[in-house]
Amino acid sequence: MVKARRTPQIGWWLLLAAVMIAAGIAIAIMWRPALAPQTVSQVFDTTRIARGANVARLGMCASCHTPDLSRPFAGGKPMNTPFGVVHSTNITPDLKTGIGAWSEAAFTRAMREGVARDGHLLYPAFPYNHYVRMTEGDIQDLYAYFMTRPAIAAPARENRMTFPFGFRPLVGFWNVLYLNDAPWQPVATQSAEFNRGAYLADAVAHCAACHTPRTLLGGPDLKRQLGGGEADDWYAPALNQDSPSPLPWTREQLHAYLRTGVAHDHAMAAGPMQDVVTLLAQADERDVAALAAWTHGQLARAPARATPALQAGPLPRPAASDPDLQRMTLGYAVYANSCARCHDVGRDASSGTALPLQKAVALYDPDPRDLIHITLDGIAPPDGEPSRFMPGFRTILTDEQTGALAAYLRKYGAAQPAWPDLDQAVHKASKE
Amino acid sequence: MTTYRLQVNGKVHAVDTDADTPLLYVLRNDLELNGAKFGCGLGQCGSCTVLLDGQPAMSCMVPVSIVGQRPVRTVEGLGDATTPGVLQQAFIDEQAAQCGYCIAGMIMQATALLERTPSPTDAQIRTHMAPNLCRCGTHMRILRAVRRAADTLAKGGKR
Repeated sequence: MVKARRTPQIGWWLLLAAVMIAAGIAIAIMWRPALAPQTVSQVFDTTRIARGANVARLGMCASCHTPDLSRPFAGGKPMNTPFGVVHSTNITPDLKTGIGAWSEAAFTRAMREGVARDGHLLYPAFPYNHYVRMTEGDIQDLYAYFMTRPAIAAPARENRMTFPFGFRPLVGFWNVLYLNDAPWQPVATQSAEFNRGAYLADAVAHCAACHTPRTLLGGPDLKRQLGGGEADDWYAPALNQDSPSPLPWTREQLHAYLRTGVAHDHAMAAGPMQDVVTLLAQADERDVAALAAWTHGQLARAPARATPALQAGPLPRPAASDPDLQRMTLGYAVYANSCARCHDVGRDASSGTALPLQKAVALYDPDPRDLIHITLDGIAPPDGEPSRFMPGFRTILTDEQTGALAAYLRKYGAAQPAWPDLDQAVHKASKE
Repeated sequence: MTTYRLQVNGKVHAVDTDADTPLLYVLRNDLELNGAKFGCGLGQCGSCTVLLDGQPAMSCMVPVSIVGQRPVRTVEGLGDATTPGVLQQAFIDEQAAQCGYCIAGMIMQATALLERTPSPTDAQIRTHMAPNLCRCGTHMRILRAVRRAADTLAKGGKR
């Protein structure tokens, strides 16, 4: 009798203890304190500021932290995520709306842990899961750089998150899963330049943020590290043995590509990669060379393949026996009458850097998005940047013509199996 | 040579030509609609802009064989010297032309904007007109002309 009465009581106490421990853990995961504001004005050494400028370019800060070139780092650029629309924030030293009141400690905590000065958790659209491995020195230099930019008053724009992701403390659980604060380690068997590139690619340039696929929770799928991801609905090609490139990259080509966006007769930067090369063009050339060395080491793991890219000359007419002859004939007609005048070498003046299409990596991608985006919108350099121009055909081609062209190029340009979701992808992109 | 039947400014024309002939050449050489101009031939300047199925298209980039049934509209379809269209009148009122080479393309680009966005903001006008270049530098007058045309239409002016 006594025993029977005491057991449930112990049970309640155990449950209460478990709940309190769970609550304690949850609070520890979700809650961070505010840090004291920086009130004393600071003076920074110019060499530190210059080094910080280089880190900022290598880290591509400018590409997300403003939608408006005339207001650098003032934030407000919308980013579409599966969890809602996140707006980048103002990282100019404005006291009220920027990071002017942030101490170096607060800035470091944001970079390493994704926590704002007032203690709220930042969304991982800000790639602190990469910056966590940045050296103390690089973070300090970056701080010096941002604190000496012109202050711009620009309040944060309201995010539009899907329920329940508007509740920021939930990000704490994402951090438990994906925020790995183990320090970056060089590979002993590799050169100093390769290791410099590996550090920059991981901790600063955060290449994997786009080039690694994401899990359903929006974290990097580490089993497929650099196995090809996406950015702004563009496919970001795999940077490992799964590289879709039809021809092996040389280190020189990678260096030229990362520096200028053009690897002659090999590849052309398009889509979100244009911002990357624009910023790398302003970074320290030795760092870009190091990034090229590392990327080359990654891509060299891809096996050599026999692809149509090895053959020169215009693409063939579809075979008379083609089971999809009508569509392929339409695709060929669009290719021959629209694309070939620039892409077949020698057909037209001023077509010097247009790639023969059998060399275009977009034809070899696992999905058709990049080819469709480039066909519809062309390649327009960011404002004020020279080169890399292709006109878009959005208002010229019908969906049927665009789809037929892509199907034809996939088959007769790249000799790859048909993309299963091609028509839906064309339809979706043409409605944008 | 193939015969293509093109619907231009509401009239159907039969044209014998090669599949890769740019629509611009057909408009100028065969149909003698000389408003659209050959600028760069590479889709970079916009002086050949016409409306293809209601959308602004650089006609130097359009092989005649892909036009099909889609209607083509050129600046000649908007009005003439005695009865200019609203945009044409606005370009005259603002004296937006210096040499005039880009103007037909500018007007067609602006037509596409005002048909879809009758009351554009200044920023929308700028963004929309960005693909079209003017070597003389009358961009500011061109923007004012588009603004004037939009305001005229807002007050109930005839298109």
